Amino acid sequence: MASPVSVYNSNALDTRISSTSRESLKMELLSDVSLLPGEERIIDKDVMYMCPYNAAVKGKVLITNFRLYFKSSDADVAVMLDVPLGAISRVEKMGGASSRGENSYGLDITCKDMRNLRFALKQEGHSRRDLFDLLFRHAFPLSHGLPLFAYVTQEKYEENGWSVYKPIEEFRRQGLPNNKWRITFINKNYELCDTYPTVLAVPFKSKEEDLRRVAAFRSRARIPVLSWIHRENQAVIVRCSQPLVGMSGKRNKDDERYLDLIREANDTTKLTIYDARPNVNAVANKATGGGYEGDEYQNAELIFLDIQNIHVMRESLKKLKDIVYPNVEESHWLSSLESTHWLEHIKLVLSGAIQVADKVSSGNSVVVHCSDGWDRTAQLTSLSMLMLDSHYRTLRGFQVLIEKEWISFGHKFASRIGHGDKNHADQDRSPIFVQFIDCVWQMTKQFPTAFEFNERLLLTILDHLYSCRFGTFLYNCESARDQHELRLKTVSLWSLVNSKMENYLNPFYTPESGRVLYPVASMRHLELWVTYYIRWNPRMRQQQQSPVEQRYKELLALRDEYLKKLEELQLSDSSPSPRHANSPGPNTSPSPSSPPSQQYTHLHTPL
Amino acid sequence: MEFSEHIKTANVEDVVLRQPLHPPSRGTLCITGHHLLFSDREETGTRQFLLLLKNIDAIEKRMSGSSGTITIKCKDLRVLQLDIPGMEQCLNIAHSIETLSCLDCASEMYPFFHRPSDLSLQDQWGLSSTEKLYSQMKELHDRWRVSTVNRDYSVCPSYPPAVIVPKNIDDSMLKKVAKFRQGGRFPVLCYYHRKNGMVIMRSSQPLPGANRKRCKEDEDLLQAVLDGSDKGYIIDTRSSQQATQARMTGGGFESKSSYSCWKRLHRQMEKGKALQESLIKLVEACGDESNNMDRWLSKLENSKWLFYVQTALSTAGLLAECVERDGHSVLVHGSEGKDSTLLISTLAQLIMDPHCRSLEGFLALLEREWVQAGHPFMQRCAHSAFSHARLQQESPVFLLLLDCVWQLWRQFPLALGFSEALLLRLATEAYASDFGTFLCNSHQERWALGVMERTHCLFKALLRPRERDYYSNPLYEPTELAIWPSVHPQSLQLWRGFFLRWTQQSRHLEEAQEEIRNMVIEWGKLALS
Repeated sequence: MASPVSVYNSNALDTRISSTSRESLKMELLSDVSLLPGEERIIDKDVMYMCPYNAAVKGKVLITNFRLYFKSSDADVAVMLDVPLGAISRVEKMGGASSRGENSYGLDITCKDMRNLRFALKQEGHSRRDLFDLLFRHAFPLSHGLPLFAYVTQEKYEENGWSVYKPIEEFRRQGLPNNKWRITFINKNYELCDTYPTVLAVPFKSKEEDLRRVAAFRSRARIPVLSWIHRENQAVIVRCSQPLVGMSGKRNKDDERYLDLIREANDTTKLTIYDARPNVNAVANKATGGGYEGDEYQNAELIFLDIQNIHVMRESLKKLKDIVYPNVEESHWLSSLESTHWLEHIKLVLSGAIQVADKVSSGNSVVVHCSDGWDRTAQLTSLSMLMLDSHYRTLRGFQVLIEKEWISFGHKFASRIGHGDKNHADQDRSPIFVQFIDCVWQMTKQFPTAFEFNERLLLTILDHLYSCRFGTFLYNCESARDQHELRLKTVSLWSLVNSKMENYLNPFYTPESGRVLYPVASMRHLELWVTYYIRWNPRMRQQQQSPVEQRYKELLALRDEYLKKLEELQLSDSSPSPRHANSPGPNTSPSPSSPPSQQYTHLHTPL
Repeated sequence: MEFSEHIKTANVEDVVLRQPLHPPSRGTLCITGHHLLFSDREETGTRQFLLLLKNIDAIEKRMSGSSGTITIKCKDLRVLQLDIPGMEQCLNIAHSIETLSCLDCASEMYPFFHRPSDLSLQDQWGLSSTEKLYSQMKELHDRWRVSTVNRDYSVCPSYPPAVIVPKNIDDSMLKKVAKFRQGGRFPVLCYYHRKNGMVIMRSSQPLPGANRKRCKEDEDLLQAVLDGSDKGYIIDTRSSQQATQARMTGGGFESKSSYSCWKRLHRQMEKGKALQESLIKLVEACGDESNNMDRWLSKLENSKWLFYVQTALSTAGLLAECVERDGHSVLVHGSEGKDSTLLISTLAQLIMDPHCRSLEGFLALLEREWVQAGHPFMQRCAHSAFSHARLQQESPVFLLLLDCVWQLWRQFPLALGFSEALLLRLATEAYASDFGTFLCNSHQERWALGVMERTHCLFKALLRPRERDYYSNPLYEPTELAIWPSVHPQSLQLWRGFFLRWTQQSRHLEEAQEEIRNMVIEWGKLALS
């Protein structure tokens, strides 16, 4: 069963209700909220919503164990808010009992998804106390001994999203194990590395005791393991954390030999190690016992990719929020945008991933790490895999990519997002995953026919990154998920997505299995993802959004019709058509404006 | 004149051509009166590269030893390089290109020689005319008439022979009004809003001068436009200070006291030199790939190009609002009324009128509002962003229009019947073309040279079946509603398809768009079969 509330709408703030539905407003306020199965009302109250785009709006707020819902009581200013409590990072009291001025007393709510909400209440009789206490309690359930909503919800879906990713199956799809790479279960009880998954792929020649010795020399025992293998040239992407070189410049023969085994596996003459950090940061890490691979690693070259750490990224996004919310800094928009450096960071992450993909597609194996190997490393491996392997560009393949490179390899979602935790200033929080999704969005913009999924999927993923309605992005690693029986007790986001796939499909998707996508990572070709970062601004409502979505759905239907007829034709025509069922129509004439000499071929890599 | 006197060396062997998106190739270079022709003989067969010399904006030559290199910068922003053996040959070629690309005699230009096999000079030239428009718009007939007061171009040299004016203003009055308007550009109707009967008029500035002359006929004409409604708006594309200053040189504005029913709104729009300089800065920033940390966004902002896009779209939005939402007629002018005036009247029509948004409707709109209305294409598009020649009348107003239309297209992906490829094609054709459409500065000049008889019409050519397919928007779904653009800076984007056209990435996107077009057409065909 699909949920009664449309997910997409659930996060649309300030939705102006069309005049046709105004009638319904006259009915009992809040009676039209359809709660999720398992969702319960906590409190409701008359408040003023201090909308940054309108004057104060009178209405009623409803808090449940899942959401904050507000609806204006005056039908003329139809304003509606529907915010999952998981999106709240901070709740503060604004003004005191003696504050002067209209609407100066109330609550100030900071959200994780680029917006703030303010509600004003009557000053008499501590009217906000119970609202504040209950909101605080339920917005930060883990700080109050309460379960996250994902453990409370009773939602049921046709599809089971937890079965999307099966590590062994994914390895088999890649052609593993083979005579160079083996699958090991050494970590089945998380004894080797408590932040790694249970199933790992390692060089065939490495022994289990080698792995243990290597683990001792890698930060948090995150040893180099295979993420992806190129079917043709057998070059691999290996990920790990930094070596524990320290100030004294320690060496570890086992680690050195182990990396050489990786190199040997496909006869690469030189193994390339991409250290995602800026050179100086890598050096500085020596002081805390970390570091990078030095000259003692023969047959290896080390390249720094200059990507900044989680703190820099957090501050950059904070600056971006400052210039887009609530109002956009319009007078010097572009230079203000430049001063946030957000796009520059996107550029560095993308260009790092391009280097990785390029190396691998030319037959050289690579090792990628940063410090702990769960932030920048995840960005680089997943983005380069997205460029190299068209499977990850399908709707299900993309889910596998996220499950594999981010969730199973221990990107610390709980710490980076701060699910259910009141400590809003926690230095561990950082929008690393948002940045990854932004990079994916940039790629979909540059290659409009290469991805099976659409922008709505990316928005939905980011909404539920915070919502805590699904188990998908909870906890820091697999061991913690097992311990809390996540897959038994919660629903996967992919259950929702895969039960309503047509919402997330790109009608123009053209599978090209062998194609490596190299996006352009120049500032000139990157743009701010306005439909995400500035979506709360009513002026920025994407023009004609719904007709466009409608038209795309029609086109999807038309495409299906086309494919069906094509199949019928092929059946009646006993000779099978050489054309792939999904390929577009035959290429008609080249553009009349370009001279015949201007021909251009795609970058193809046979896989 | 013979072109041959400018061509000392017509053929050079063993030349290397370097162009964006292609590997360098070696072959024969040939200069003709209008073209640069390059053919290479690879094993896979001969490939030819043909470039209109008119498309060349600037060249640079560099000699080293016995050979030389010529860098060619085109008006379509492409940059090519030719490595030519032999110093003398190289100098001769460079000289020919320099001379032949700058010939400014319209009657010697290539459109007079271009004879494609599938077009006939006997075909009727152009898509529309004032008379045709008038006869189709029955609603106009009560209050408006076609005047041919300008049939010999003596009243207004930059107007077409026929224009639409209020019925009760006769030709003798028009002649007097013309004397009171700069360049004789008296107010004429350019758009009739069917929904409420309101109109857009355009003209040049009135000429009250320092001693605040009045012209009764001018006032009567505008009064007749109002036809009893209480007020109209005048959108002046200059600041009120500029408009006041214009009095010193004989120009000015419609004063409140003389035109009591008209409310003036001033919106300063840059044109001329400022716009040209903005284009130069922008193109320079786009071409500068020297450094990664090159503060691209600041440079983009400093070029001010997007600011001009924003101003144009928001002024057009204001104009459309006056007509559509406020229900009033509007007169638009700046000083000459040949640049920003046309820019915003065109954009406002696209915003309001669904007929203008089809492929044909859009081309007809451009024909009416730019070609026939006397935008001086020849002067404005003589040079583009690379030329070192001293700026005279150059100004990329038409390019700015195309950019604004692209922004609309991007914000309303279903509402316009044409594709980005059409806008790119027009941006190229305005500067260098096989067709006569953008030749000369006015209807009169085109008539004098016989452009309509001796050249082919671009708009017609763009509507041939193959072109029509190619330039149509596959997602087009006409809407009757006005399309109000968002003009916030964060809603506007650099038109990468044009300004970064010769990069791999833009090529990818062009190809993807073509792929999508073919896909949708194919699905449609089979679904219908």
